[in-house]
Amino acid sequence: MIGEISHFLSLSAVLILSLVLIFNLFFFFSKVHPNQLTLSMRLFNQACWLVFISFGMYVYLAISDDFSIAYIASHSNSQLPIFYKITSIWSAHEGSMFLWIVFLTAWSILFINSLDNEHPLKKFTLLMLSLIILGFLLFLLLTSNPFERILPFGALEGADINPVLQDPALAIHPPMLYLGYVGFVISFSFITAYLLNGNFELQWEQDIKNWSLVAWIFLTIGIALGSWWAYYELGWGGYWFWDPVENVALMPWLAATAFMHSLFASSKSNVLKTWTMFLGILIFALSLFGAFIVRSGIIDSVHSFANDPERGLYLLSFSGLITLFSLTIFAYRLPVLNSSKLVVTGSKESFLSMNNILMITSIFSIFLGVTYPLIIESINGEKVSIGPPYYNTIFAPLILIAAIFIMISVDALWQRSMPLRTLFFTIAPPIILSLVSIYFIWWTTSVFSILAYVGIFSGLLILFSYLLRTINNLFNKRFINKGSAIAHTGLGLLFFAVSMNSILSYEKNLNLAPGQSISVDQSVKEFSFNDIRVFKASNHDVISAEVSLLQDGQEISLNPQKRKYATRGQITSESSIHTTFFKDTYLTIGDQLDNGSWTFSLKINYFIKWIWFSAALMVLGMLLTIFKKKAS
Amino acid sequence: MNQLLRFLIVILPVVVLIFFAKILLIDEDIKFSTFDSKNFPEFQLNDLNGDPVQSESLNGIKILNVWASWCITCLVEHPFLTRLSEQNIQIIGLNYKDSDLKANAWLEKHGNPYLFSIYDPRGDLAFDLGVTGAPESYLIINNQVVSHIQGEMNQRKWNSIFLPLIQQAKQGS
Amino acid sequence: MIIKKFFIFFSFIVLSTSAFNQVVYEFEDSLQEKRFYSLISEIRCPKCTSGSIASSDAPVSRDLKNKVYELVLDGSTDQEIKTYVSERFGDFSDYRPSLEGSNYLLWFGPFIFLALMLVIFFIKRRV
Repeated sequence: MIGEISHFLSLSAVLILSLVLIFNLFFFFSKVHPNQLTLSMRLFNQACWLVFISFGMYVYLAISDDFSIAYIASHSNSQLPIFYKITSIWSAHEGSMFLWIVFLTAWSILFINSLDNEHPLKKFTLLMLSLIILGFLLFLLLTSNPFERILPFGALEGADINPVLQDPALAIHPPMLYLGYVGFVISFSFITAYLLNGNFELQWEQDIKNWSLVAWIFLTIGIALGSWWAYYELGWGGYWFWDPVENVALMPWLAATAFMHSLFASSKSNVLKTWTMFLGILIFALSLFGAFIVRSGIIDSVHSFANDPERGLYLLSFSGLITLFSLTIFAYRLPVLNSSKLVVTGSKESFLSMNNILMITSIFSIFLGVTYPLIIESINGEKVSIGPPYYNTIFAPLILIAAIFIMISVDALWQRSMPLRTLFFTIAPPIILSLVSIYFIWWTTSVFSILAYVGIFSGLLILFSYLLRTINNLFNKRFINKGSAIAHTGLGLLFFAVSMNSILSYEKNLNLAPGQSISVDQSVKEFSFNDIRVFKASNHDVISAEVSLLQDGQEISLNPQKRKYATRGQITSESSIHTTFFKDTYLTIGDQLDNGSWTFSLKINYFIKWIWFSAALMVLGMLLTIFKKKAS
Repeated sequence: MNQLLRFLIVILPVVVLIFFAKILLIDEDIKFSTFDSKNFPEFQLNDLNGDPVQSESLNGIKILNVWASWCITCLVEHPFLTRLSEQNIQIIGLNYKDSDLKANAWLEKHGNPYLFSIYDPRGDLAFDLGVTGAPESYLIINNQVVSHIQGEMNQRKWNSIFLPLIQQAKQGS
Repeated sequence: MIIKKFFIFFSFIVLSTSAFNQVVYEFEDSLQEKRFYSLISEIRCPKCTSGSIASSDAPVSRDLKNKVYELVLDGSTDQEIKTYVSERFGDFSDYRPSLEGSNYLLWFGPFIFLALMLVIFFIKRRV
């Protein structure tokens, strides 16, 4: 019954949104009648609330174990804690799409109601948002219906959530990511509205700035959580594989980062406006592209949700249509939009232009890497794999250029070239310090990898640059933009930590019987496999190994496990990780061999904590930027 | 210049769209198959009866089917293989990482669609062939590996992947 | 009786010392070791939807790891090992696309793109 009501509410939302659109289409070419807008807004708000209530009911259905709903039956289970019953909703395609729509609706209703009724762009923005929400609702209800029933009796028990997804980080990762992805519907719709409206004296940046910054934070956290989860849960000790699904999350993030910087220039110095507009459209377009890739089954990835050409075609057409719509209007208006200001070489504007170019190049590289196998396969049937070796090679020079730009441009001036003297004193000390550090690193580690060293050098350039600036700020009261400094330091730290991790980390595969111990290397002087126990836990059987290490003079206990989940019979491996400031000791248990011994994989991963910390710094920096603006 | 840019901004997404639409409509089965052209690897193995396998037995048009008694999906494709063998398609088995006792018992129990099965307990020949698991099937024409299907064999895959190549070969000779 | 005791004692000695190699992949030097771990992270698991053999527990991945181990000890170069694997499992198994034919577009594409954009920017010189 509740399922039917919930379904009905969503259908009603579709109806109402259609009404909004048809209604406004009817009045499209006439002036905005104040009542028309008020009525449209009322209808729109009602439709949004219907979506929220519908989803709220769906959550109730999940919590109350309504296994007559096919989706809930295949992804939940009565034995699950309530938290996971709720998170199981977005563990697969239909439910996560529903969540996506809820967030899309939430952002939309908040933003559109924040605009004054007199705001000239309100009508068009409302129409764009209605169209997009409607399109996704139709997609949900027509091709991916979460309300489908198992008739006539329903399932007795749920099939259970994939155990690998039964994890707090993985529970929050999709919501964070989606909040980020769909948050950029605001910049997309508002900018399109601006282009439709045609009055280019209007200022538009301020209205969407904070909304976009907040969306960026969610996107950053979402990606970082995914990476963190992969590290802790998947057992191979890696945190980023340049997997297609990771890549399609990174592309909007890069566009969003470029957009933010460009927006800054656009509102401060009246330049880069067309760039900013283009980027504002591009972000959401890339989010749509990402949703398409993940849900159409077109690309092989562990992460792919749905495998249905029909869904893929709908998503492709819908995303394609609205993106083309915005881009066409953008292209159409371009001649009028182009300002006639000349960019001075070496000015802040020029660096921001360069940054945009660099970011677009990065996005292009990833896009190329993701689509190239598909292109080649469709041409001559050959299968090509593109992975970390490709992306790492391409990105190393790109991040070096980025680091150099960050180093120089922070002190660049608006509309004026930076004096050569300033330039020299800005870049020489960090370069020298970084080179010395590189030499020191090489001297102590005796490892050399050109890509990694480019990464380390890039990170150090940024870090030293800001270190010197901070010192300058403390002693000479020289101005420093705190939010940007912290965020950029985070980025530099990321480059540094990732590169150091790649040259220092190592792995040992061991084979021991219970009771045996071995000396592994200089650092891990003793590895003792003390005991192996078998016991039952809530919904799984556990094989638990007790291992103690003597590492760098310290006693460490590790407890890697293998779990077999009752409902699906799935076997997972739970790694045991001991973290310190500089490194993680990461132990995974393998299989038992015929002679009773067990295989272990011991990985020593360096600078992992620093990677997570760098993401936190970037978010912190952004928060400071948002709240500083609010204060002033 | 500006005109060109405006044109590109609209045309490039259209190209991308058409490209992906085309890919979506590709035959799903093609994804799990490869089209090769390499010599059948050398090997020195016996069949399940203990007799050495001669490489001549791979002449002509043969299907090589990778199977094992521990492989559940192999049971699913078994009826189809039996039908093929009744249509005089020559199928040779590759018994993969199995015990010969269990393998022979399995054939006894479920029926034997194979001319004979190569006994590869360590998976050496399988490795050289690029076998990723069971079941898998290879199309061998005159000692050349021509095509490879991962996963179970069924009418649909047979029709879209192996059959055209077989017909091509028959026309050639 | 005495023989039986001796036999038990002898078996005990033999079985209590490690009858198997405790370090699974043992190498002559750390360079070989690094090469091995680097190679297995660049070879694609033939059976998984995506991922390298380093991160996969599939039987065929294990076979591949053991083979790569053998070949590294044997003295084969990285390229020889990758070619060995590709001959059996297809070009698809190398996560590093080769530098030949259309792959030139892949490797140089980003930089050509960057150069193009810079050229356009300098021609226009306006924002």
